[in-house]
Amino acid sequence: MRRLFRSLAAWLEDRTGYRTIRRHLLEEPLPAGTGWWFTLGSVLLFGLGIQVVTGIALALYYAPTPDHAWDSVRYITTTVRGGAMLRGLHHWGASIVVVAAVLHMIRVVFFGSYRKPRELNWIIGLLLLLVILGFGLTGYLLPWDQRAYWATVVTINIARLTPVLGDWVAALLQGGTDVGALTLTRWYAVHVMVLPVVLGGLVVVHLYLMRRHGISGPVTPRVGSSQMFFPYQAARDLTVAAGVGILLATLAFRGAPALEPPADPTSSDYIPRPEWYFLGLFQLLKYFPGRLEVIGALVVPGLVVTFLFLLPWVDRGRTREPRQRRFVLGLFTAGLAAVATLTTLGALDNPSAGAAQWNIQEIAGASLIQSSERCTRCHGPEKVARPIEPGRIGQPPSWLDAHVADPEVIAPGLRPPPETNEHETNAIRAGLARLRTGSPPSLDPATTRVYVLFAQHCLSCHTIDGVGGKDGPNLSKAGEKLDPGMIERRIVDPTEVQLDAEMPAFGDKIPAEDIRALAQWLGKRK
Amino acid sequence: MSQSYEDRRSALAKLVVSGVGLITAALAGLVGLVAAPRMQPTARRWRRAISTLDLPPDQPAAAVLADRQADGWYETRKQSIVFIDREGNGYRALSATCAHLGCRVKWDEAARQFKCPCHGGAYDREGRVLAGPPPAPLQRYAVRVNPQTSEIEVEL
Repeated sequence: MRRLFRSLAAWLEDRTGYRTIRRHLLEEPLPAGTGWWFTLGSVLLFGLGIQVVTGIALALYYAPTPDHAWDSVRYITTTVRGGAMLRGLHHWGASIVVVAAVLHMIRVVFFGSYRKPRELNWIIGLLLLLVILGFGLTGYLLPWDQRAYWATVVTINIARLTPVLGDWVAALLQGGTDVGALTLTRWYAVHVMVLPVVLGGLVVVHLYLMRRHGISGPVTPRVGSSQMFFPYQAARDLTVAAGVGILLATLAFRGAPALEPPADPTSSDYIPRPEWYFLGLFQLLKYFPGRLEVIGALVVPGLVVTFLFLLPWVDRGRTREPRQRRFVLGLFTAGLAAVATLTTLGALDNPSAGAAQWNIQEIAGASLIQSSERCTRCHGPEKVARPIEPGRIGQPPSWLDAHVADPEVIAPGLRPPPETNEHETNAIRAGLARLRTGSPPSLDPATTRVYVLFAQHCLSCHTIDGVGGKDGPNLSKAGEKLDPGMIERRIVDPTEVQLDAEMPAFGDKIPAEDIRALAQWLGKRK
Repeated sequence: MSQSYEDRRSALAKLVVSGVGLITAALAGLVGLVAAPRMQPTARRWRRAISTLDLPPDQPAAAVLADRQADGWYETRKQSIVFIDREGNGYRALSATCAHLGCRVKWDEAARQFKCPCHGGAYDREGRVLAGPPPAPLQRYAVRVNPQTSEIEVEL
């Protein structure tokens, strides 16, 4: 067996010369003192490898069309075996690649590794960083959820600020009149075809140039014999890569990144936020109002990138010793600190953290949609109309309002709705409008029941937590003045408590136990 | 080597290089042609926005104007939001798209301003910039009232 294997290897060597290639790749002599700092490039390569593999796996299921993108991503997350982990790996992997690329760059700057004769490789490295950010930008759109859509609208409008060519650049990115089907296919093609090819080419050139000039090694050359890459440095690379791999797997194991409701170009309350590594740019925009916008959007980032490209020619002292390069390193460190500060400020300035809560009417409406005969006689699995699912409502609000009032709007000839309660209709409208943007909070059935009762019978006259009519008193803090027993008596027959009360009696309209539940709940509100 | 051989060799080399160049240029031209964006703007026309009867007394009302629009091979429901408001004896229609980076502005009843959630742009009731980064006021559209139906129509 062993002999067969050996002769097979010899045959392969004769035909391909693979041993020479392998020897060339692995037996790279490294300067003495090459240590842990020099593992960052390999970690980056490892991260890119993860992205390629997980990306291909995702492409097996993903469909880049407005009708299917969101559903296919949801399918990957919820149904495909290991799909949630896969999405998690690709999502967190992107962050790890960005972090590794930046750390690698910081290492190169502090070690002065871009100095002659490695200037060109520094430039290739910067191009790689831009390609990596391009992956982040294009990949962000693909899930086609609210965040994806609105972040892309903003990105394209930033590109529109380019002097002279702005509209043309924006149109090229957008592919059509609006952000839509043509944008999605375009960005998908760039993300899975164009950028990977460019990335692959640049990585090969980067590694070739690295080998051509050798590793720069420690700042001051050490005395000692050089070490081979394999297995010494390779062992360090593997150690760090394994650590990063464990971190990545832990992050991914905690679950896939959140998938927001599908892209909805009409939503008015969505606040787009970019991925964290673009938060610094996002924050910078806020400091340049009006016509100055272009400075924050393009001029400052453009100057930073230009400065980085010119670094090997700006910093041309005799030694690579950091103490002799205080000016350049000071400037670079200040730039890093600025990016870190802007990113932190961007992360803290998060208006969506205070997103509006669902109000009682909306919760009641969402509950009625799932339970009321009005909706369920047509909507449901295996019924004439699709189940009503959070985030899966495509019709505009005006259409929904008309449809709730009169279902015949879409199905002429449908029997008229059963006896309708106007307050219930309003609750269903509010619930539908809110369901467009997401799922209702999960409450226990008893509380939901009380909300529904309140929406059906009380809300038209009484305000609670900012919604409702103004004919009766505000009940947001009903329990401060009345105890549950009093409230119960008032609901059953208000004139029993107060002779001239205008409020109608509900004793014969609502079952006694429901009145009790309502009164208990109101009595607790203080 | 004879001179004529050298000549022929360099002529052939030039031929090969320009051949490769031509093929590359042709391919690049084709890719450029295909990659050029496809614009299919919808023609402006009058659209029903909201009935004058439904307009609240003292605040702008958001109206959704829905329309089918070709988006390449896909047909999308394009929805534009406009704010309809009283103005003198007539009405005005303002786009809900922030002039800054295209987020949707909302009417903030407490502040009595249009506010953009993205970068803090604020506009007054007539769409003029009050604060934040917007470089221009909210876009205005032509408005007319259909005398038969009392519907406010917007040219969009």
